[in-house]
Amino acid sequence: MVNRKGKWSTRMLAVVSALFAIAVMLSGCGGGNSSVGADGEAVTITYYTIDSPDRTFVEQLIPDFEKQHPNIKVKVATAPYEQFDSKLQTMIAGGNAPDITSHFGYGGFAEYYNKDMLLDMTDLLKQEGFDADKYKIPKNLMDIYQVDGHTYGIPFSSYVTLLLYNKDLFDAAGVPYPPSDYNDKSWTFDKMVADAKKLTVLSDDPNKQQYGLQFGWGELDNRPFYFGAKMYSDDTWKNGGMPSETYFDSPEAIAAYKKIFGLVFDDKVSPPSEWSASVAGQGGDPFVTGKVAMSVGGSWILSGANDFGFNVGVAAVPAGGNDKVRSTLFVDPLFILKDSKHPKEALTWIQYLLQTDIQKESIELSGGTPPVNQEAAEDYYAHFNTIDPKDLKNVYEGAYEYGYESFNHLIANYSQINDMMINEMQPVQNGSARVEDVMPGVQKKMEEILARTKK
Amino acid sequence: MITSNRMQESEVWTANRPRRKVDFTRVLSFILLILITLTMLMPLVFMVTTSFKAQRETMQYPPTLFPDSLQFSNYVDIFSRLQFGTMYQNSLMIAGITVLATLLSSSLVAYGFARFRGTGRNLMFMLLLSTMMLPYPAIMIPQFVLFSKLGWVDTFLPLIVPAFFGSAYNIFLLRQFFANLPEELFDAGRMDGCTEIGMYWKIALPLSGAAMATVAIFSFIYSWNDLLTPVLYLNSSDMFTLPVGMASLTSSKFRVAPWHLLMVASVLALLPIVILFILAQKRFVEGIVLTGIK
Repeated sequence: MVNRKGKWSTRMLAVVSALFAIAVMLSGCGGGNSSVGADGEAVTITYYTIDSPDRTFVEQLIPDFEKQHPNIKVKVATAPYEQFDSKLQTMIAGGNAPDITSHFGYGGFAEYYNKDMLLDMTDLLKQEGFDADKYKIPKNLMDIYQVDGHTYGIPFSSYVTLLLYNKDLFDAAGVPYPPSDYNDKSWTFDKMVADAKKLTVLSDDPNKQQYGLQFGWGELDNRPFYFGAKMYSDDTWKNGGMPSETYFDSPEAIAAYKKIFGLVFDDKVSPPSEWSASVAGQGGDPFVTGKVAMSVGGSWILSGANDFGFNVGVAAVPAGGNDKVRSTLFVDPLFILKDSKHPKEALTWIQYLLQTDIQKESIELSGGTPPVNQEAAEDYYAHFNTIDPKDLKNVYEGAYEYGYESFNHLIANYSQINDMMINEMQPVQNGSARVEDVMPGVQKKMEEILARTKK
Repeated sequence: MITSNRMQESEVWTANRPRRKVDFTRVLSFILLILITLTMLMPLVFMVTTSFKAQRETMQYPPTLFPDSLQFSNYVDIFSRLQFGTMYQNSLMIAGITVLATLLSSSLVAYGFARFRGTGRNLMFMLLLSTMMLPYPAIMIPQFVLFSKLGWVDTFLPLIVPAFFGSAYNIFLLRQFFANLPEELFDAGRMDGCTEIGMYWKIALPLSGAAMATVAIFSFIYSWNDLLTPVLYLNSSDMFTLPVGMASLTSSKFRVAPWHLLMVASVLALLPIVILFILAQKRFVEGIVLTGIK
């Protein structure tokens, strides 16, 4: 090979510099999304959410909002659920943080709070004269996103845990429907299991196989709380999600998990995980296939209810041993990020979203998101074809009375805790290990995670 | 008619030759290969048939392989439910420019590495290869800071411009190919007074059809499937690419995922790759014929 370095490098240089020139020219088309607003000039705020019709419906509200507030422009930025958190982190690190968002991804409030991402809204709310009663937000829901009396988020939608049942299967088995009234003292966990037994059909033919109950109350670490077992020390709920102690190997916790997994292996009323996966696919919900009679879980399953191939009813979560708590709440707040340059305008947008008429409109636009505004909630209760609005109202009001916010929103570093729980409980889930043998290991792992979190 | 002629021909052909014993191992291996092929094709068939199902049927248990009734409207619905047309266009444009840019920049750099000696050439090449070891998440945030300072967030530029600067893997691949081209061809070019850039353009590139086709396919598939980069840089939904839109179909835990539409999207998203592969396959053959080597 002949070396013609001299000649070549000039040419190379020319080509490379041409490429650079193209790049620089191209860069001219971008840019210019600064939103610095002096008085009278329009200010642009960014609302960051999941790219899914039940979340992006807010785009349809913007024209009306901008008409009412000509000095504020709202831009919606979105990402798919799986990538929501990483994009948010990158945006913040890149100095491109959105103004308003919620914990729409895996991470919860506590994670955002402990990463110091959120604006303390207390003073802003006072200054703007924010009144939760005006938006009919129940006080106990407003309290969820407060730490030491400081407000970091304002609820705008609220899912609860409820019992969903397949009316067709109940009719076929001649079992009376479960009650929606939380004060019905006869409706207990044991009664639910007894009903589930009547609704279970065990068979070698997968077409005939049918289960009475799937118990998806909260996340795995949350679940014993339903039976009254304490899993995290009390300070967790006051200090921003840093438990000083956990009790995963306590006799109460072990007894609770035995009851939960006993549904599959002793009572045989709940489907084993491999059956669920084969029926509904990974991450799917077997209840929607019509092969499960009762499902305790988050009320978001309802959003598809008008499309199910069977009639659905809702009922109260039965009493399970915890006198105060029977329903895990999933209340989604709106946060203003610390890096927001226009917190006042951001709050104006939040207040707009909470108005009764907008909350009502949002139910339709989103296809059934439960509003936090209790006046708009009446419309939500009547949104589903086969469900009696009275039942749904009972279930929601009972859930608020006996509700506790889901741990995944309140505990720092929750995604690690959840992954660990799922991995460690796997042997119990598929029946190859006993609860009492696994729990000391879980407790140890939990302590390790907490020690790391505190650093 | 034509088939029957062929059959006759083949009969003649067998008749004229000494009858061979049926080779059982061959038959067996063919049966085995056909079985494996069918197994591999199953998911694809299931994807296509599911794309014609009604949503309710996708939830049925046991699942049906063939739909009860074909719902062709799915293929129309996808365009109204999602901004599918826009996303498709965006993806095609980004992938198209990326392929052209990668071919141009990577081949140029590879040509340099393959045909010129200079001080530090090996060091430069090692440096180049070492960029392959860096996983994307490691450079994600610094790159985001860079592009957001340039004001490129929510534009296609962060997805396109990097392709103009070559990619290590493709440069490596092309360099190996260029280095194997017979030196005599370049000597002949030089005697006819061809410039270096002329030899790159007129000798090296035309002879590298196969390698260039490989690079084109790699860079197209990479750009076509890329999810994380568009997610990071694109904010407005009318800028989204196909993977972002498709990921969004399953991204709500608040409703039942529309699997039937997702399968429609998958079938349609598969088409350009299949077409590109068919086109590129021709080049593979041509490349081998033209170079006269191997």
